Amino acid sequence: MRSSNYRGNGATMHLAVSLLPRRTSSEVPAAAGPDFSHLARFVQKAEAAGLDMVLLADSAPVAGSDAPNGQVPFEATTLLAALATVTDRIGLVAGASTVAHQPYNLARRFASLDIISHGRAGWNATIVPEPREAANFSRPQGFSRDDFRRRAEEFIDIVQGLWRGWDADALLFDKRGGRFFNPEKMHLLDHKGEYFSVRGPLNVARSPQDTPVLVMTGLSEPDIDIGARVADVILLDEQTAEPAKALHDDLKRRALACGRSPGALKVLMNVAPVIDGTGAQAEARGAEIAAGPEAVADGLEECFRSKACDGFNILMPPSALDDFVDLVLPELRRRGLLQSDYRNATLRSHLGLDPGDDQ
Amino acid sequence: MTARRRQMKLGAFLWATGHHIAAWRHPQAHVMAGVDIEHYIQLARTAEAAKFDLIFCEDAAGVREANAGIASQTSRSIGFEPISLLAALAVQTNRIGLVATASTSYNEPYGLARAFSSLDQLSGGRAGWNLVTSASHIEAANFGSTGLRPHADRYERAREFAAVVEDLWRGTGDVAGRDHQGKSFSVRDPLDLPRSPQGAPVMVQAGASDEGRNLAARTADVVFTAAQTFEEAKAFYDDLKGRLAAYGREPDDIKIMPGVAPIVAATEAEARAKHEELQQLIPDDVGVALLSSYLSISDLWRYPIDGPLPELPASEGMQSRQALVIEQSRRDNLSIRDLARHFAGARGHWRVVGTPVQVADELQARFEGGAADGFNVMPSYFPGELDSFAALVVPELQRRGLFRKDYQGHTLREHLGLKRPM
Repeated sequence: MRSSNYRGNGATMHLAVSLLPRRTSSEVPAAAGPDFSHLARFVQKAEAAGLDMVLLADSAPVAGSDAPNGQVPFEATTLLAALATVTDRIGLVAGASTVAHQPYNLARRFASLDIISHGRAGWNATIVPEPREAANFSRPQGFSRDDFRRRAEEFIDIVQGLWRGWDADALLFDKRGGRFFNPEKMHLLDHKGEYFSVRGPLNVARSPQDTPVLVMTGLSEPDIDIGARVADVILLDEQTAEPAKALHDDLKRRALACGRSPGALKVLMNVAPVIDGTGAQAEARGAEIAAGPEAVADGLEECFRSKACDGFNILMPPSALDDFVDLVLPELRRRGLLQSDYRNATLRSHLGLDPGDDQ
Repeated sequence: MTARRRQMKLGAFLWATGHHIAAWRHPQAHVMAGVDIEHYIQLARTAEAAKFDLIFCEDAAGVREANAGIASQTSRSIGFEPISLLAALAVQTNRIGLVATASTSYNEPYGLARAFSSLDQLSGGRAGWNLVTSASHIEAANFGSTGLRPHADRYERAREFAAVVEDLWRGTGDVAGRDHQGKSFSVRDPLDLPRSPQGAPVMVQAGASDEGRNLAARTADVVFTAAQTFEEAKAFYDDLKGRLAAYGREPDDIKIMPGVAPIVAATEAEARAKHEELQQLIPDDVGVALLSSYLSISDLWRYPIDGPLPELPASEGMQSRQALVIEQSRRDNLSIRDLARHFAGARGHWRVVGTPVQVADELQARFEGGAADGFNVMPSYFPGELDSFAALVVPELQRRGLFRKDYQGHTLREHLGLKRPM
């Protein structure tokens, strides 16, 4: 069955998965952590299942902690580059901190990743300060919450501005005429702000998907206007449909107020289902919502149909992905809640963020 | 039993469409190199099949040329960011070393150490970091409003940066946090990544000023350098190796690899024709602009292009390269146009044009004459001129026993014959 008019507004749900190896996972030797081929198989499995994107967490300053990637022996953007060469369709989103990077460098790294992946890269920008991070990046005094927020907002504006510095048709490659690019289609940023001064332009070409996708997580109330203005995807930690829907509606309203189409912002709920295939438990951030694959699908469908979100970000260790893909996805697909295949090549197109997608 | 013959190290220096400024206009250059990852994967595999020690990516955190009209006549305003590029290449190759350039002026040591550790993990111990302090005003304008720091300040920061990175790399995993509180940086925790498969990523440097040489003598495993003549190369080699003892190091602890820009063909006439074809593709304003940037002056175009180089003020930019350009212009009585074309072509590096035997002879003379431990090969355009070097010169070097026929080790340190750090 074609899913396009199933929900009345023509939408199927978007699904992301967070790479979340756990210390307790028995499949992986604790000392070495998973090697690259192990992680590649995880992402290829997610791609074969048609998921929109994989989120790669990054956690610079938390040696010895049980942070999400405490076990992954790779920094997220370098891991993304490597994964891009062993996948073809799935979106790849890396976490990267506004404290650990300069905006010019971060914009460049992701612009480069976007070309390496042929338009499948995204940046997960958290605007929650991490005190231990500041301590390792020559900011022992840290940041006040408000300071951090204003700085992060300026940072993100610079990064997105740099991503748009070259028009899509700027490169001419005209050997005979001696014109490599059209200088009128290269734009300086000339940003001078409270925290940063960046002239530009970026020395990486325009993204194959216009700009890398900007994902935001961990938004608190004062951050919501920022997210509504700049994010392509926002991940919610709300555990049930009702508060998620309130926040979802609020975000879309505020996006509209910023002159954006509500469809230009996708809101996904973080969920952590636990499935063992024999009717065991499923939970969303600790709150039990259902049991067994069908019931997990019920829970997701209910949230989605109540328009609490545009889809879900599944938090699970690699070992659990098989069950989700083999048991829950077919059920969602049977119900017409998923796209049957990737429509196009870029992450933006997977997410329905191409120009005109939401018309 | 005969002593094993010392063999030269070879780097494949990958840059944009090629090292010649007009490379991108050459009919056989891949003009879309800067947006084509498959092209780079192919170059890396070519270099690996030829048993190069490493591939090397230079870098600047900004466009190369502020004047957009001039920049638009070159291919160097866009390309891949090197750490992400090499991370992609790491899992598409098996043996070859991967060296990326990154600046101590516009990074933090914790983040840089972490990115290179990750590249080292992805590649199974084949990563290296080329430390630069970044001498360009264009880069400085992307990182604040205060402008380019003075040369001495940049090197003071670089010394502290390098020391912190080395401590992080060597203390990774099971050593308690080092809690560094220095003039430029503070770092509290150890890295959250496992210890490098080669002990620590390889440290590379290219600064040739007095401060640059001392920093290299203290920390570098490999030094890239620009030297036109045998005498310059030999003087640099002896000077740098002579500084090692002061830091408790032995001469063989550093591999000195001057850049070489070869143009090779089956006959000398063909090679010369190939060179001339490229030179003819250089627009005058591009050549003069490039020369200006090496001299760190912005108004070279004001002087008659057929006249001599004017007297120049001291520069905060690349002091050692500036001296090299001036010396050459006085020695050979060159006009600005001559110099511009000359430097635009090889960027102050050593240009060798000839047959495979002639190129191998030149390399052998510098290698055996004690002026180099190996060479950083700078093909004029890609992929053709890397292919030519791999197909024509490498077999000639192998025939002479001057270069490996296969990899013996798996890590970059093993290829280079470097000690594993404690």
